[in-house]
Amino acid sequence: MSNQETILAKVSEVIRDLFDEYDGPITMETTADDVPQWDSLSHVRLMVMIEMELGVHFSTSEMQSFKNLGDLVNAAAKQKG
Amino acid sequence: MQGNFPWRRPLVQGWDEQVAEVEHTLADGREPDYATVKSLANQQLGMREQLRIERLAKKLSKAASPSNGFAEVTIGLLGNRTLSFLPDPLAAAGLARGLQVRSVEAPYDSVASFAYSPADCFGRSLDAVLVVLDESAFASKRPMLDQAAEDEAIADAENLATALAAAAQEKSGGRAIIATLPGPMQVSSAELATPGTSARFRHRVNLMLAEGAMKGQWILWDQAALAHRVGLDTWLDPVRYHAAKIPFSVDVCPLAADNIAAVLAAMKGKAARGLILDLDNTLWGGVIGDDGLAGIRLGQNSPEGEAYVAFQDFVLSLRDRGVVLAVCSKNTDEIAREPFRSHGEMVIKEDHVAVFQANWNDKATNIKSIAETLSLGLESFAFIDDNAAERERVRQELPLVSTIEIGDDPSFYIERIAQSGLFDHLPLNNEDISRAASYGGRAAAAQIRAKIGNYDDYLTSLEMRMMIDPFDDTGRSRITQLINKSNQFNLTTRRYGEEDVRKMEGDPDLLAWQVRLEDKFAQHGMIGVVIVRKQEAEWTIDTWLQSCRVLERGVEQCVMNMLFEAAAQAGVETIHAEYIPTDRNGMVSDFYTRLGFKVTSSNEDGRVEYACDVPDYEPHKTFIEVGLAS
Repeated sequence: MSNQETILAKVSEVIRDLFDEYDGPITMETTADDVPQWDSLSHVRLMVMIEMELGVHFSTSEMQSFKNLGDLVNAAAKQKG
Repeated sequence: MQGNFPWRRPLVQGWDEQVAEVEHTLADGREPDYATVKSLANQQLGMREQLRIERLAKKLSKAASPSNGFAEVTIGLLGNRTLSFLPDPLAAAGLARGLQVRSVEAPYDSVASFAYSPADCFGRSLDAVLVVLDESAFASKRPMLDQAAEDEAIADAENLATALAAAAQEKSGGRAIIATLPGPMQVSSAELATPGTSARFRHRVNLMLAEGAMKGQWILWDQAALAHRVGLDTWLDPVRYHAAKIPFSVDVCPLAADNIAAVLAAMKGKAARGLILDLDNTLWGGVIGDDGLAGIRLGQNSPEGEAYVAFQDFVLSLRDRGVVLAVCSKNTDEIAREPFRSHGEMVIKEDHVAVFQANWNDKATNIKSIAETLSLGLESFAFIDDNAAERERVRQELPLVSTIEIGDDPSFYIERIAQSGLFDHLPLNNEDISRAASYGGRAAAAQIRAKIGNYDDYLTSLEMRMMIDPFDDTGRSRITQLINKSNQFNLTTRRYGEEDVRKMEGDPDLLAWQVRLEDKFAQHGMIGVVIVRKQEAEWTIDTWLQSCRVLERGVEQCVMNMLFEAAAQAGVETIHAEYIPTDRNGMVSDFYTRLGFKVTSSNEDGRVEYACDVPDYEPHKTFIEVGLAS
């Protein structure tokens, strides 16, 4: 598995934990619009959980730039080197 | 930070299955057991477990059965930043403290309208309104060094607090709980001495809030103290603050919620009122029955001894707040009382202890008796014991008692108890502080009722393993120490020096065993020594002693089984034994009869001789896996 795939797998697990009613696909293209429970409030919590799970920290501008999960995964992969 | 509840029980094995069971019960429309739900929530939860308990709390709240045991609390959340991250963790934290907390959020930024206009953003009755404001809600920026402008800002802040408290009362019929302000990141050490700085303003607001709370105008949630404890670097999350306008980091929400729940518990009378203390290695270092008054570690400038003195000071400060103290110790009563009466560095005296329960009964039984004697419910008590197995036992038998994960280092006892928030209280009144004294310093012992619970299950759950080895050079010094120090669980109190012990190693006329024990909590190390003199078909137990660290575990039954097995293999006909009474070993006066021996003679000096024929011996039931060296 590539680094990105490993990270996406971990992120997916967190998403399934937090959004327990969602059973659709989770891919690099997934966005908040795809998951009904994913609102602005739970978004903050999701980011914190993902940061804790992956051991990374996203900057203010990074967080703002995420358009889909792929952006997040790539940013995390960059930090993990 | 989410898992940072060090005073709580570590997550139990099978936690997921137990939660699933509760979820099923709820789904079936039945009522889950109160104590079970409470203790599932009251563990060191990780991120996922936290989420799951939050969901469970929601389901429980929807099922809304008034008889489920949880005290219902409905609070309004009012802030000038978003508090939307609090309701779920608050509901979860509430369960751990026996509360069902429902939160009603005020619309964003309705502080001023709630305080000063007739508008009621909650529109319902509430037990309390939690007000979490930051500096900007209390006052706009003040010019540097302008003392008058600062005084004016403080007056404004007081007006706002007063108006909020009045609105909470008039509109919601509840108390206002107002949060103190954590300090800002400081530029200099002179902030407090510089009018116009945030640090100085927040400090003065906090003092103003404290004065109002003292007068009963509102209740404090000391957010500042918690932020201080956690550290500002952890408490604040500047990235998220700017993204979501939340007053503190999302990861500390469970901790903040727990801290708030402690205040709500105090309001609802769910705080602990009694503290039950173990003695050996809890109030002093060492074992009084073995080490004696001169041997226990308490004060005397040793780091460990000083830690115990500091802990005793702390315990006494709890009593000053009205907390009733009780002792629950596996000891002989008279011996356990010795330090209270005669040790110069003992801070806690017999007069401070309302019930003094020192005997050889199971602790859960004793705790029940203490509660009955004081006419307090089990839920009113916190229990402190350095021994993890005792804690486990009490948690299994009495889940309503708050058994604090105190650890085994006395230097941490104080912070674990303080952090637990179990003794949180509202500003004290005279009645509160005289409460502990009203129970009297009777130091009375409660009447013991019949044993409770299934002890066999408990012993099985300990997963004990025993190693029996003949005397050898690695065990020699500990063997010698046990032989010369053990007083209580010692049948003959025969002392042998290190050289004597060395000679016993490999002596064909002796069976000399060293016994070690471990369980799922701890390596107990060497906990027993047995020396048997062999004379062809007649063996005589010369020495049988055990450490008091592991009583009531079935250790003696297990070792005795092994001894008789060895005797049978050697074709021995009879094993002889004797009990030589001292002023210390009364606890084992019936040892041999309990284990199946018959009295053969009783001497005038109190010595009793026993015998048991090998074929007549019936092995005892044990719960220990044994490894026997050749």
